[in-house]
Amino acid sequence: MLTLTLKEQPNVPLEAEALSPDLTAGLSPEAVRALPVYLGKRQLRVADFFDVDGTPGEELQIQGAADRVKWMGRGMTRGRLTIVGNAGMHLGAYMKGGSIEVSGNVSDWLGAEMSGGSIRVRGNAGGQVGAAYRGSLVGMRDGMILIDGSAGLEVGMRMRRGLIAVGGSVRDFAGLEMKGGTLVLRGGAELRTGAWMSRGTIISIPPIRLLPTFSYTSADNPTFLRLWARHLSTHGFVIPYEDREGTYQRYLGDASVPGKGEIFVFRPRAG
Amino acid sequence: MGGKVTCTLGEVKNRADFIIYWGGNPAECHPRHFTKYTLTQKGKFVPEGRKGRTMVLVDIRETPSAKAADIFLQIKPGKDFEVLGILRALVKEQRIDAKAVAETGLGLEQFQDLVGRMKRARFGVIFFGMGLSMTRGKHMNSAAVLTLTAELNAFTKFVCMPMRGHGNVTGSDMVLRWTTGFPFGVNLSRGYPRFNPGEFSTVDLIVRGDNDAALILGADPGATMPQPGIDHLARIPTIVLDPKVTHTSRLARVHITTAATGISAPGTAYRMDEIPLPLRPALKSPYPTDEEVIRRIHAAVKAKPAWTPASSPARAIA
Amino acid sequence: MRISGGTVYDPANGTDGVVKEICISDGRIVPEVQGGPSIDASGMVVFPGGVDIHTHVAGAALNFARGLTPENYRKAIPFLHASGRRAGLGGITPTTFATGYLYAGMGWTTVNEAAVPILSARHTHEELRDTPVVDKATLVLMANNEIVLDLLEAGELERAQHVVAWLIWAAKAYGVKAVNPGGVAAWKWGKNANKLSEPIDGYSRVTPAKIIASLAGIVDALRLPHPLHIHGNCLGVPGNISTTLETLRVLEGRRAHLAHLQFHAYGGESWGTMRSEAPALAEHFNNHPTFTCDAGAILFGDAMTITADGPWQHLLHQLTGRKWGNVDVENETGCGIVPYVYKGSNLVNAVQWAAGLELLLLIKDPWRVFLTTDHPNGAGFWRYPELVRLLVSAEHRRECLKKLPGKTLRRTVLADLDREYSLSEVAIVTSAGPARALGLSSKGHLGIGADADLAIYKRGPDGVSFGQPRYVIKAGEVVVDDGELRATSEGRQFVVQPSYDPGIEEYLRPLFQKVYTMSFDNYPVELDRIARPDVRPCD
Repeated sequence: MLTLTLKEQPNVPLEAEALSPDLTAGLSPEAVRALPVYLGKRQLRVADFFDVDGTPGEELQIQGAADRVKWMGRGMTRGRLTIVGNAGMHLGAYMKGGSIEVSGNVSDWLGAEMSGGSIRVRGNAGGQVGAAYRGSLVGMRDGMILIDGSAGLEVGMRMRRGLIAVGGSVRDFAGLEMKGGTLVLRGGAELRTGAWMSRGTIISIPPIRLLPTFSYTSADNPTFLRLWARHLSTHGFVIPYEDREGTYQRYLGDASVPGKGEIFVFRPRAG
Repeated sequence: MGGKVTCTLGEVKNRADFIIYWGGNPAECHPRHFTKYTLTQKGKFVPEGRKGRTMVLVDIRETPSAKAADIFLQIKPGKDFEVLGILRALVKEQRIDAKAVAETGLGLEQFQDLVGRMKRARFGVIFFGMGLSMTRGKHMNSAAVLTLTAELNAFTKFVCMPMRGHGNVTGSDMVLRWTTGFPFGVNLSRGYPRFNPGEFSTVDLIVRGDNDAALILGADPGATMPQPGIDHLARIPTIVLDPKVTHTSRLARVHITTAATGISAPGTAYRMDEIPLPLRPALKSPYPTDEEVIRRIHAAVKAKPAWTPASSPARAIA
Repeated sequence: MRISGGTVYDPANGTDGVVKEICISDGRIVPEVQGGPSIDASGMVVFPGGVDIHTHVAGAALNFARGLTPENYRKAIPFLHASGRRAGLGGITPTTFATGYLYAGMGWTTVNEAAVPILSARHTHEELRDTPVVDKATLVLMANNEIVLDLLEAGELERAQHVVAWLIWAAKAYGVKAVNPGGVAAWKWGKNANKLSEPIDGYSRVTPAKIIASLAGIVDALRLPHPLHIHGNCLGVPGNISTTLETLRVLEGRRAHLAHLQFHAYGGESWGTMRSEAPALAEHFNNHPTFTCDAGAILFGDAMTITADGPWQHLLHQLTGRKWGNVDVENETGCGIVPYVYKGSNLVNAVQWAAGLELLLLIKDPWRVFLTTDHPNGAGFWRYPELVRLLVSAEHRRECLKKLPGKTLRRTVLADLDREYSLSEVAIVTSAGPARALGLSSKGHLGIGADADLAIYKRGPDGVSFGQPRYVIKAGEVVVDDGELRATSEGRQFVVQPSYDPGIEEYLRPLFQKVYTMSFDNYPVELDRIARPDVRPCD
């Protein structure tokens, strides 16, 4: 495992797409020190910002408050990227495989347009988790993103497949223009969840405000929820699914499109 | 994501029989709009002028523009997105629960009436302002108008247009698009243009403190931006080019007074419908034009030795 | 400068692969030159610089498309800022600086921006000013201009001629473009004009046929160097061959240039039965020598449909569900935009692909059919070399055909065509022919006095490496050397100055103030807005 420890805070954002297991696998610390990073318009070296230690391999660990370090894990297809601390924007964007784990917080565009692999964030995330970049028709195509804390705007925007689960609350437009996949909101959401969705599933444990273009259809505990709950519990993510705990109100929408997306809102059993 | 369906203002003048102003107050903010383009003009195909047109004003409060409106729809603040979503659904004859629309401040019959009028229009237009694009929902509110407009074209001719403000913002949008591909928030630090609103747009950049210098031309962020952004501009080297000493000038390192474009400096302005108009200066100014100043700064930068990487990394800002 | 040892193809002057020296001085071809640098072009072929007779690279429609699709730029070729080179982005709607570099990089030195509204002509000229290296011309949109249509309705053909001339000069254009005559005017009310002999919506005498015939006559009466350039009615629709042939009959005996003819060469009754009618169209073309055309071929991959054909673009949006851009320009024209991808697995696209090649192979005279993709509608212009490869090798065509749906063979004849273009013919359809059709006598050839625009290609075992010229010379200066951009000069822009009765302004001014929304004095583009204008009076 190679360990990079941030020794110098960049005064403007640092773009470090070179920090990806695909690019560092098999490289010696000396070779990694020479990899390019971009500080504004300057091309510098990894060594200008990080101490590099360890042995070459499939694991790459970043230590420090890397809030301003962007594009780590970009397009990775294998290996393990661990961030002990925080990470900047575009972490794991275009990811195809492998795994990313963050002990702290991340910024916007986590896992944007990813098509495989898994991401776990113990802290909070920013906006546009697993989303499509502006103008692009499709966001996340597959993979899994788990966030223990809260997240920002447009989580799962235009996702087509895969799973995003957030422990804390999210802001407006979660699941915006969703085309498929599953979005689990353990901490609920602010406004306009599922806006303009055409397909896909959103599950909220707390009650959430729904758009007037969503209509109630039924209340039950569909089987697939049970399967998701089991799958999520293996990652330490707990959602209720037993009849004795409560039922899920099912809403269909968004009639604006018109879409056939589903939003399930948990309602605990009284008493 | 449905697209953008629009026209030049003369099409509105000549054809529009149904005009919606949404989230804007043209009577005060675009004072010649009604008389020059939209309401009182006798159009080629609307020879009766005002009598041949119906104007609907949609806003959260009654502004002076309401006096000119045939129909005023007062919606609750922050509900534009919901209203537009309901309209999209009703245009496509989807069932909407009457109780569900109550939160918008409008009744279902008002929605149905509006949809009917839109579909029966010969040529409908929605002008949307900052009351829509700058309130909660932001770009999604604008997207909602654009998408509704595109969808109405399955039934009749319908267009929309943003009510642009602040001088030649359309012009800068146009020039940036043809030279870089993007209308604003363009990052050239990697040597080629990149675009990502929220990451590279001005307010977000300066609030986060992501830049270590600033050149401000024809804008006054020191008056309009959030305080953390203003504080950041005061800390870093900031240069202002403006005909007047602005709020930003007062916190900047350098202020250069330049001639006022359109009054003392020539150029081209692009109207809100993206039509270019030549600017013929009427007055002379003792000050240089923005163009002259930028060219001189550019020449001075070019004369400096090419930058080579320093061996020690940059220092953090305090 | 001297270029020695190269095998020169200069079909306009009868040179068909002859090793000869080319001398350049002061930006032109000269009989001899003293001193100066020398290029050893032994083993290479020397072509006149490419001339693109129909492309969409600058102006309101293009800029609209750029704004509509920011996501395309994320996968485009970036052009890095460097000394003497501006930053930019390629992709299907390149930014202006990138456009100039891309054309120059493949050996094309003159481009004709094919669709300019007068109202936004100033914008087009500003973009062309920011398009480096290449020389330019523009065509102004006229066939849906309501002032002109109203004059045709009133039978005032002579006055219409003066108005058209005035408008051409106001736009600082080089020629006249007709797009979906009558149809774009009808689109202002959401309608179209599919029948050449039926009056268009709102008129009782003006039919698309009348517009076509009148404009063709006016262009000839004004003695413009390039004939009426027409994008016919019913573009893209199965069965439109009948409309195309009818259009040609309306124009019979007159000179005319038919744009992107491939999109107008379809038989069949529906998308399910669509087939290529290129053979019938080519035959008519072969028998009627006053016409020229450009192929408008498609290639599989990304495209951006951008045309003034508003109703067609709306239909494409409804068929594909892709994003749709539309802007109607008061009193003049409009434009529609829909991003599109041509797929080899799609039978309709396969037929379109074959039809473009069939036209290029079945129209016998290479001086009358030119190599284009109606960029960006059919494919990006930097892919012209792929088309060249398909024209010079029947075997390559057959290999490509094998990958297409089997039904393609029943809808097309491409598999049976053995013709292979000679290098001379390639030089004609990419340079000499379009230059002649445009009436640009200093372009498309390497005779004495010609502009020194050349592309020099290496010749390898697989043939000439089109697409990667060894040298590109523009106005006597090496602009591209082994793939590297060496210099970026500013090209010049061709503008015609037709004659009109100055009194026509008295007619136009009050009418203009009534139906437009700007001051009449702001309408014409000032000549000093054009970078390096080359004005050609027409008399």
